[in-house]
Amino acid sequence: MNPAPLALIAELTHRCPLHCVYCSNPVELQARENELDTPTWLRVFREAAAMGVLQVDLSGGEPLARADLEQLVAGARIAKLYVNLITSGIGLNETRLDALVHAGLDHLQLSLQDVDETAADEIAGTRAHAHKLALARMVRSRNVALTLNIVVHRKNLGRLDEMIALAEELSVQRLEIANVQYYGWALANREALLPTRDQLQQSIKTVKAAQERLKGRMRINFVVPDYYATFPKACMGGWGRKMILLDPAGRALPCHSAGIIPGLQFDNVREHPLAWIWEHSAAFREFRGEEWMPEPCRSCDRRTQDFGGCRCQALLIAGDAKATDPVCSLAPTRPLIDAALQRINSNPESEPPATTREFLYRINPASSAATSKPKDSFQQVS
Amino acid sequence: MSFPSLDARPRLAPGCRLSDSSSENQVFLLMPEGALRLNQTGLKIAQLCTGDHSLEEIIERLAVQFGSADRQQVERETVSFLTRLHEKRVVDF
Repeated sequence: MNPAPLALIAELTHRCPLHCVYCSNPVELQARENELDTPTWLRVFREAAAMGVLQVDLSGGEPLARADLEQLVAGARIAKLYVNLITSGIGLNETRLDALVHAGLDHLQLSLQDVDETAADEIAGTRAHAHKLALARMVRSRNVALTLNIVVHRKNLGRLDEMIALAEELSVQRLEIANVQYYGWALANREALLPTRDQLQQSIKTVKAAQERLKGRMRINFVVPDYYATFPKACMGGWGRKMILLDPAGRALPCHSAGIIPGLQFDNVREHPLAWIWEHSAAFREFRGEEWMPEPCRSCDRRTQDFGGCRCQALLIAGDAKATDPVCSLAPTRPLIDAALQRINSNPESEPPATTREFLYRINPASSAATSKPKDSFQQVS
Repeated sequence: MSFPSLDARPRLAPGCRLSDSSSENQVFLLMPEGALRLNQTGLKIAQLCTGDHSLEEIIERLAVQFGSADRQQVERETVSFLTRLHEKRVVDF
């Protein structure tokens, strides 16, 4: 028996009013008619709790796009899970917020694209910023934890001080400043988003000073881009070790983007109990443990800390999901990462102007069952 | 402030709570970042973090409850535990 996962990530829907250029959803999105219904999600939450899962992350897309969100929060809480809602806040008014809190919501993670309204709206492709600020204040006056999530990249790292000041002004308990991770939509936009080395070093200094100054008032978590790291991140805490993700259609995945790995078979909670999937699903067994590891991971002392890094990154950069994560300084494919860093750092001034023209915007899922390919839905915003 | 005074009345912050569990050996302190498995002492302290008890009262109760002769040690451990939780924004004073 494997130890139970700690968290269930429930991607309730891929529908979203935003079109973020670094969206972590797969490039091929699930359509509304494929989404799991309310009773199925409620059953899954009960199964998760029975397995020993402690926490559910209600995510998306935008989970508020589900009309039954209040029911899902209540059902998860009754199942004795800790209930996290990860949201852009679009579509959340005071009445609905109260209903969610009443249903047992424990923690709301509100994403903010930037402190500069024009820039935020450029990234998310919609006007959303002012509403979020009002919402953050509303959440703070209720008995629910609030984390402000700000995604950072080359275009907005220069405003890090203002971001921290904003979080202070809103007196949030937690601030997560996360650099974009380069998969899916973000990888398509990597050349425009990856920060320079100077930017990164400056940002680390800024965050450390703020962490010290705000100790006990605000907890600041900072995620750096792994391209600049010496060793890979322990992606998802290790494949099939800590987390199980369900996509809107009920497919169980070991991580957000595992769907890109060719040959993996994903079992569905419509057909199998969650516990069976965790234990037996081929996709979860594929990279669990150390059997699959190539050298240099196999004999590396760090294999129990980073578990070989990220399989999706290995596929995307090295072309092989079984390879050592290319960001590792010991990986034979590290030069591919260095080449990207070299391009960005040798001539950062030559980057294209900050217009929306250079971005590939994340789309909304097709309303028909036919999946739209990203190239068909490339949105040029003039 | 990162070091609580003895008059402070600690309470669990919004979104931080004890897990529902039938067994006292399996109680977690649930929080946005995840969960902390509590030992018996940790559980007693967390249960008293309601905003109704001063830190001094909490230490007093623990010393009595665990029959500890070394009140200083109980105080050190309680303060250290609560300071760590405060820095994680799990406990407010």
